[in-house]
Amino acid sequence: MNPVTPELLQRYDIAGPRYTSYPTADRFVEAFTAADYGQALAQRRNGAAALTQPLSLYVHIPFCESLCYYCACNKIITRHKERAAVYLRYLAREVDLHTATLGVGQVVTQLHLGGGTPTFLSDDELRELMAMLRRSFTLMPGGEYSIEIDPRTVDAGRLQVLADLGFNRLSFGVQDFDADVQKAVHRVQPFAQVAGLMEQARAVGFDSINMDLIYGLPRQTPESFARTLAQVQQLRPDRIALYAYAHLPERFKPQRRILQSELPGAPAKVAMLSQSLAAFLSAGYVYIGMDHFALPNDSLAVAKRQGRLHRNFQGYSTQPDCDLIGLGVSAIGRIGATYSQNAKTMEDYCDALDHGRLPVVRGLALTRDDLARRAVIMALMCQGQLLFESIEQAWLLDFKNYFAREFEQLHELTEQGLIVMDDAGIQVTAQGWFFVRAVAMVFDRYLQADRTRAKFSRIL
Amino acid sequence: MSASNTRPAAVPVWSQLPAAGAAAPTPLKSLCSSCNLRELCLPCGMDGLDVERLDSLVFARRRIKAGQSLYRAGDRFHSIYAVRSGTFKTSLQMADGREQVSGFYLGGELMGLDGFADGKHASSATALEDAEVCAIPFAHLASLSAANAGMQHALNRLMSREIVREHGLMLLLGSMNAEERLAAFLLNLSQRLKARGYSASEFHLRMSRADIGSYLGMKLETVSRTFSAFQLHGVLEVDKRHIRILDIDRLASPVESRMH
Repeated sequence: MNPVTPELLQRYDIAGPRYTSYPTADRFVEAFTAADYGQALAQRRNGAAALTQPLSLYVHIPFCESLCYYCACNKIITRHKERAAVYLRYLAREVDLHTATLGVGQVVTQLHLGGGTPTFLSDDELRELMAMLRRSFTLMPGGEYSIEIDPRTVDAGRLQVLADLGFNRLSFGVQDFDADVQKAVHRVQPFAQVAGLMEQARAVGFDSINMDLIYGLPRQTPESFARTLAQVQQLRPDRIALYAYAHLPERFKPQRRILQSELPGAPAKVAMLSQSLAAFLSAGYVYIGMDHFALPNDSLAVAKRQGRLHRNFQGYSTQPDCDLIGLGVSAIGRIGATYSQNAKTMEDYCDALDHGRLPVVRGLALTRDDLARRAVIMALMCQGQLLFESIEQAWLLDFKNYFAREFEQLHELTEQGLIVMDDAGIQVTAQGWFFVRAVAMVFDRYLQADRTRAKFSRIL
Repeated sequence: MSASNTRPAAVPVWSQLPAAGAAAPTPLKSLCSSCNLRELCLPCGMDGLDVERLDSLVFARRRIKAGQSLYRAGDRFHSIYAVRSGTFKTSLQMADGREQVSGFYLGGELMGLDGFADGKHASSATALEDAEVCAIPFAHLASLSAANAGMQHALNRLMSREIVREHGLMLLLGSMNAEERLAAFLLNLSQRLKARGYSASEFHLRMSRADIGSYLGMKLETVSRTFSAFQLHGVLEVDKRHIRILDIDRLASPVESRMH
């Protein structure tokens, strides 16, 4: 049943980019400015061919009422609810700057509200936000409209409001059901509370309910996590995202409140990952890729079977590859052959908008090499298939020559049984799906350059 | 992954089509296993058994006259279409009434994938010359692939190919000048024709200058002027829609310079 051994996990479940973009966000540069972003928007408006696809929107709500110690997101901890109203006015200005270029009524087929805690907003504020977005964009029926839920901030009534506003998918932040672990990460939300909300969400009729879990948290043991897994199976969410906790207290201040001594060791983490895979697969979930699982009838699993998966900043998606407008503090967008990111602090974000400027502070204009590699990485991560010929036709290059160095590394992955190669292309094996990140990393030019540098400095 | 060793030497596939099509009585039905385009189309990468499974679906063939549409934006999505012969363009109607060309499709390529997202076609497909397609009911294909791992792989591979092709170099159009745009377009077309066993250096454009301009985001005059410039510099020989590439390296050089 479970094709993944702890040995393979140890070897290939390595730290690395999640490739929600390529190049990854840490490669963005400050030389890419708001003016460059404005130009990309103008090109979309004048739109040739590939630039006229529907849009995806991401709105970042940075506020949280209380701090979860594991969190590495961009957020502001506050109990001052009035800050939300001010923020909404800035979001509206940011949207106006977009419609000034794009015009009103661009078609949107995907919207995601993330955070922080989107449900920090009151029902009225959520209504105001959605009304503002609908005035500026055309939200198509049948699109994916999702919102992240902190179970501690909603009740049945609020869920109904979300459904009435057009949201059709929910993502619950659960992380772990164990009371001790919840205390250690400062996020206490008993199983009964989440179970009640899930039931209510189903009654309201949401298309798909996702649950986020994290392994590697303080006080977690394979035994305690097995209990959480059993409770998750009892609730049977349509989708599960299982993330590994990365303890980087020097980079993420909240994590300093986590005691190093309470963290599970590497063998325990591998055991937890291994038992999670076994539990989800035997419960009938389909492994989508990376950290994601879905029930066979969920649209994500259907899309995977039909080869229609895509990947963007919101993870795996059933929506065709499209431009993404990121709104709010620290939000990332993708327009045409560019990526861009907004200011990370509220001060800088508001300051730019006060001056009538788009709050973009960094980004990247992709070269043909970036775009060709992105196409390769996304084909591997979404279809698990790569036909050399399609890349050659689309990007006018000779695949085997162009990627000669990458082929050397691919041979090792072939020997490990993670991929199969022939003259026509590469196919990720059933086992290889669990390590598809390692396959993608081979084609990451920036990463390979880093490795070469590291090797060089070791030699010296 | 057994396609490569069964792939035939380059044969001009379109030229053989009448042999299969002309004798068949109407309504035309086609079997993937006996189709000349099988190495480019749906069965690409499938083993014999899977192709036989495909045969059980028996796709209806449709003839579309030049200028007629295969589907229109807003039509319900139920089939994808494999082009058997001829060339199509897909286009979107802009809010101001203008037509925006979004793609061109040749034999062995699949059209209609734009209908996946919300069950309706987002664009319209029009034949640029008399053409023939196989209509592949997607529900059938999906159920076949759900029940069979080999079919699922093949479908994944196919979708990957089409998704990659739809994006490609055209993403860079915004940052390209007129020469680079037209060069990228001609090189892409040349590669696709070559994969079909045609000459990569001499071909007849099935699309008008206006269609090319719309696709590349260039004014009609600019398209014509750029063709003239290429001819003047000995890169191309242009006789109305007939194109001969005289110097492929020079055609490719402005595009190459954008690699990094």
